[in-house]
Amino acid sequence: MLLLEFQSFLLDGLLNTLFLSSVMIAGGTFFAVIFAVGLSAQTWWLRRPVYGLVECLRDIPLMVTVLMVYFVLPHAGLSFNPFWSSALSVSVWGGANGAHIIRAGLLSVPSGQREAALSSGLRGWKGLFLVIVPQAMPVILPPYVSLVTSLTQASSLGAVLGVNELLRSAQILIEQTTIARGGSPAYLVYGAILVVYFALCWSISALGAKLERHFAKPYQRTNGKTGLAKPAVALQISTT
Amino acid sequence: MTAMDFAYILEALPDLMTGLKMTLIVSFLAIVLSCLIGLVGAVLRTSGIKPLQYAVTAYVEFIRGTPYLVQIFFIFYGLPSLGLRFSIFWSGVIALTAWASAFQIENFRAGLAAVGRGMHDASASLGLKRWQHSIFIILPLATRAALPSAMNTIVATVKNSAYLQAIGLVELTFVAVDRIAYDFRAIEMFASICVIYLICVFTISGFGYMVERRLSRPFGGR
Repeated sequence: MLLLEFQSFLLDGLLNTLFLSSVMIAGGTFFAVIFAVGLSAQTWWLRRPVYGLVECLRDIPLMVTVLMVYFVLPHAGLSFNPFWSSALSVSVWGGANGAHIIRAGLLSVPSGQREAALSSGLRGWKGLFLVIVPQAMPVILPPYVSLVTSLTQASSLGAVLGVNELLRSAQILIEQTTIARGGSPAYLVYGAILVVYFALCWSISALGAKLERHFAKPYQRTNGKTGLAKPAVALQISTT
Repeated sequence: MTAMDFAYILEALPDLMTGLKMTLIVSFLAIVLSCLIGLVGAVLRTSGIKPLQYAVTAYVEFIRGTPYLVQIFFIFYGLPSLGLRFSIFWSGVIALTAWASAFQIENFRAGLAAVGRGMHDASASLGLKRWQHSIFIILPLATRAALPSAMNTIVATVKNSAYLQAIGLVELTFVAVDRIAYDFRAIEMFASICVIYLICVFTISGFGYMVERRLSRPFGGR
């Protein structure tokens, strides 16, 4: 069986995919926080450009963003290898989508909570992380988990630039075996990695659901019912 | 970093327009097909026939849980070895439709769910038949409820047509990358296609808002 024969080769690809998508998730979260801060800045000259940038990133196809970072940045004297180039472009894209999720989540916490935090002496970062963020989590998490699965799926875009992740390994395997043995095993190999990607995204969703239950608990205890806040803005991440 | 060369953009514009035409044709076919499949799929998923329901749910979950790029490769490179050979164009349309329908099924299902049970009782008390109830009551109300998210997916369909450059469909992104391979004018090319994509997206979403506003007046005939 072809897949078993080359399992270590495909496993290498899977490991690279896992590494690449972790970098993308971490980078995406980093940019999401930065963009979210920019979007909720008080000064318009900071807010407007960030808003424009985020909108552009959300409206331009991800494929174009990935190719653009790879082809245009060298002209500005910044040459990244395919790995970091795809990681950077997908992270920025994820950040643009994540920024709106985070902002909507923070806005969904009633302003009274902020005032209550202030009156308990929790100022600045303390108030944000001890009072606001835990309450925003039930709103942030569901769309954020789907963003994380999107980022994992987007790691396959690395193959377009030539990163040796799972999809690229599959392509190489298919090319080699087609040349060496004749008869394309493409449906088998691509079918198998579709299943692998599905399992990966499915486990991320399952983990996310667990996390959601964790953040839903305090409210269940006090209210006796679910008491989840409704998201103020419904967001749909529809790319990839 | 070289300055932007507008003369070069003008020179490349006819090529870009050919690409844009292909992008729009593929997207249009995929949008129409995916909306039809989405409507049928949503009806099947709420039909109460268990095997059909499970099949549609499995389809939606599988498409949403796997990378779109791999789906495209599976359809274009994988299916021929099973005896299903399509041209690049039709592979692209099939891949884009398959991806978009999964989202449209979800959108329309949410739309159907938004139509209250009370409507059923109301139309029964008016003496409407089952098919009249479905066509005249549920369909308009569900479409209205599903419209914003369906518009989102339609815009995403146009954007995702860019992925089809990976199998060599000569659409907007492919044209740009192809010209960069010859002329090394990456900045000009990407600036142009970004602007073109932005115009497309804004036009479509603007049109969507217009339709939404019109439909939000419940009984306004004007």
